[in-house]
Amino acid sequence: MPPRDFRSAEHLPNLRPDQQPASPDELPRQRNGVTPQMHGRYPDYNVLDEADHWDEVTRRTVFERVESTPSLRFFTREEAATLGIFCDLVMAQDREPKIPVLNMVDAKLFAGQLDGFRYAEMPDDRETWRRLAIGLDAAARQHGAGDFAGASGDVQMRVVDALAKGELHGEVWDEMPPSITWKVVSRAILSAFYSHPWAWNEIGFGGPAYPRGFARLGVGQRESWEGAPAFERDPVKDTEQRGDEGPARP
Amino acid sequence: MSRRHELRTLLRGALRPPENDSAFLLDVHRRAVPQERMARYDDSFSVDLLIVGAGAGGGTLAQRLARRGWKVVVLESGPFWDPDEDWVSDEAGSHRLYWTEPRVIGGTDPVELGKNNSGHGVGGSMVHYAGYCPRFHPSDFEVRTRDGVGEDWPISYYDLRPHYERLELELPVSGEYWPWGDPHRYPHTPHPIAGGADAARAGARQLGIEMRVGPVGITNGAFGNRPHCIYRGYCLQGCKVNAKASPLVTHIPDAIEHGAEIRADCMVTRVEIDESSGRVTGVRYIHDGTERFQRADAVAVAGYSIETPRLLLNSTSRRFPHGLANDNDQVGRCVMVQGAPQVSGRFPDEMRMYKAPPPEICSEQFYETDERRGFARGFAIQTVGPLPIEHAQHVLGHGHWGAALREYMRDYNHWYTLGILSELLPLPENRVTVAADFTDQNGVPVARMDYSQCENDRKNIAYAKQTLHNIFAAAGAQDVLVTERYAHLVGGCRMGSDPERSVVDADHRAWSVPNLFIADGSVMPTQGSANPALTIMALASRLAERLALKRTGGASATRRPRRLRRGPRPAPSPVDAG
Ligand SMILES: Cc1cc2nc3c(=O)[nH]c(=O)nc-3n(C[C@H](O)[C@H](O)[C@H](O)COP(=O)(O)OP(=O)(O)OC[C@H]3O[C@@H](n4cnc5c(N)ncnc54)[C@H](O)[C@@H]3O)c2cc1C
Ligand code: SF4
Repeated sequence: MPPRDFRSAEHLPNLRPDQQPASPDELPRQRNGVTPQMHGRYPDYNVLDEADHWDEVTRRTVFERVESTPSLRFFTREEAATLGIFCDLVMAQDREPKIPVLNMVDAKLFAGQLDGFRYAEMPDDRETWRRLAIGLDAAARQHGAGDFAGASGDVQMRVVDALAKGELHGEVWDEMPPSITWKVVSRAILSAFYSHPWAWNEIGFGGPAYPRGFARLGVGQRESWEGAPAFERDPVKDTEQRGDEGPARP
Repeated sequence: MSRRHELRTLLRGALRPPENDSAFLLDVHRRAVPQERMARYDDSFSVDLLIVGAGAGGGTLAQRLARRGWKVVVLESGPFWDPDEDWVSDEAGSHRLYWTEPRVIGGTDPVELGKNNSGHGVGGSMVHYAGYCPRFHPSDFEVRTRDGVGEDWPISYYDLRPHYERLELELPVSGEYWPWGDPHRYPHTPHPIAGGADAARAGARQLGIEMRVGPVGITNGAFGNRPHCIYRGYCLQGCKVNAKASPLVTHIPDAIEHGAEIRADCMVTRVEIDESSGRVTGVRYIHDGTERFQRADAVAVAGYSIETPRLLLNSTSRRFPHGLANDNDQVGRCVMVQGAPQVSGRFPDEMRMYKAPPPEICSEQFYETDERRGFARGFAIQTVGPLPIEHAQHVLGHGHWGAALREYMRDYNHWYTLGILSELLPLPENRVTVAADFTDQNGVPVARMDYSQCENDRKNIAYAKQTLHNIFAAAGAQDVLVTERYAHLVGGCRMGSDPERSVVDADHRAWSVPNLFIADGSVMPTQGSANPALTIMALASRLAERLALKRTGGASATRRPRRLRRGPRPAPSPVDAG
């Protein structure tokens, strides 16, 4: 497979006929550190290698996310089964290694760490999550499944898609607007996922920058320690030379 | 250019602000504000002025009056931040900077609060503001007269101009020569800009849209004991460097030096009055779980456009059964936000938009009314530099989730983002009320904010968004992503010349309570398309000057609406015409 050229934007969903990306399995496998599912757009960049250059408080904050997965204390086992699948679909986490999104959301809700506002037609964020679990099951049943967790992958995708478009109806959804529910829960999911250094590795983000700062601000420039994107190396040759595994397969 | 302007240009960066030593009072070796010498007042001592909230308005007012020898206490519900220990160079870890106590939002176009809204702790919302410090335009103060919309202010641009100039030295503000509104220079030279801003500026230029670097409240070069910006891009997470201006570093140190007490972790729950005289006697507040009462000769409320109306509405009495200073049902009305949609553009080269301060370049070319556009008033264009979580929300806002969202995020380094600030009009139905059935941890009813747009608002936002699309197309962007947002909440206790249509007079004094003042963004009758912090500070600075002239008290209080001297109207500048 030829290396991908990211100067072109052909890989971006808006520019593709079905609005969906190609399989990320075409990317090299991450070689340094971890990315969710090991997709390696910046295969040799591990932001955690830079931790010596961060201030102590920030370092503690970030490492806590990697080193400890909070155990579930807010959600019941049944809720967690449903919502875990839901979070994985929203973030397209189809295999390990996974960022433990639901556990991170659970920890915030358990600690009552809310965002400072609530839509008038919505319950408290904590209650919204619980009702979401009930509502996902209800929507799956409308497709003939027993519940959301037991539904086929196709039905699960359709339910999440309908939620994102605000098109769920009946039971919970007649009382709790799906479009606002989507805003509330996606906000929590994205904050968890993109606060995790594994996600920073995947997107090539420079991460914490105090006290070092940034010096190379121009177009196409990066700091000496920032990761190079995959296309600058031929992933096939490169992995062969290193004796690493080839691109990850599901 | 006048001699004065030439001199200011020559002395750029070398001018020390008059009567404010804050930058020099900070410690070289740590970021926290030295508090060892801070005065402490007893609750039973009636201070000259009690200020609620140590933010943009409250912090500035405290410094000004402490300098004049007033005995000032500021009660701040949040902590006295230590940037070294309390702040992190991390997006999610900065959650504690925001006002996270519950609030309810409603209306047909509800405004999400939280991290995109008000702050908490000494320094207020400016701790996590981006750092743009533009002035308002002269037209902003008379939009009713000029454009037939909104409301005229009871003061003019020229009443604020000396305060703008003084504050620009104190923050200090850096930027290119500013051709819009009342043209002016900045005391600090413009910062270097990153690649993305360069590309956007080139695209704009092709369309005849002028973008300028700044104006930002970020030191360029060391300033007193505040070091140079290190271009790390975490301005919205609190500046651990002390390079970005907020009252915490620009006014609080000098206030403390001149005898003000900044009492943190004190949530004010009620402003008390004497039922017979109708005068304010002090405030009730909660510190460490205990309720206390601080006596004061006068009270200035500066708690932000949501908490200020909330505090007044919750301060009911026999004299004011519907809330303090709310005889005419004006408290909480005409609260405003700017329409702030963002458009991201994709480029072949890496832009890495997380570098450099998010506020880089700005255009006010569309600020004024242009009838050909089909709506009144206008908008500003600015860079925003979202970090990963913020950008992910942008991608999701465009409609992508799952695999598509991940693909867009893997492409993060190729994107650059511009934002709009659309002037939305003040509408009486847009208001802050209190939710009787929903209380906070202290048992105090929380604020509810309802917001709905009018036709002019929708047209403005749509036109502005299209302009950003055009800029990215001209800049050669390969793909764009659009998301809807709001920014900057002001109004809610507006100043005016008619007690039936406003809460305070031109001197920020409540129409019906002689020793109650409002000193934050709530007093704004309109919002322009400029970021509000500098104007909030300038208003507080002017208020201090007015108070210092008269001291407080019913005897000297003039209660009649006053006609204020208006300055000359400047000829529109050539760039404005576009
Ligand atoms: C993400 C973001 C970016 C922004 N960027 C910009 C920008 O680039 N440029 C710009 O000009 N503006 C910007 N702003 C807006 C700007 O920060 C605010 O408009 C401004 O700080 C408001 O000033 P204020 O004095 O009204 O209130 P604040 O600065 O919010 O101060 C109010 C203070 O009062 C305290 N308080 C409230 N209630 C009580 C109570 N009951 N008892 C005790 N204390 C209380 C609060 O804790 C707070 O510290 C931004 C805002 C946000 C959220
Ligand atoms: S970019 Fe500059 S001003 Fe902004 S937080 Fe960093 S050092 Fe402070």
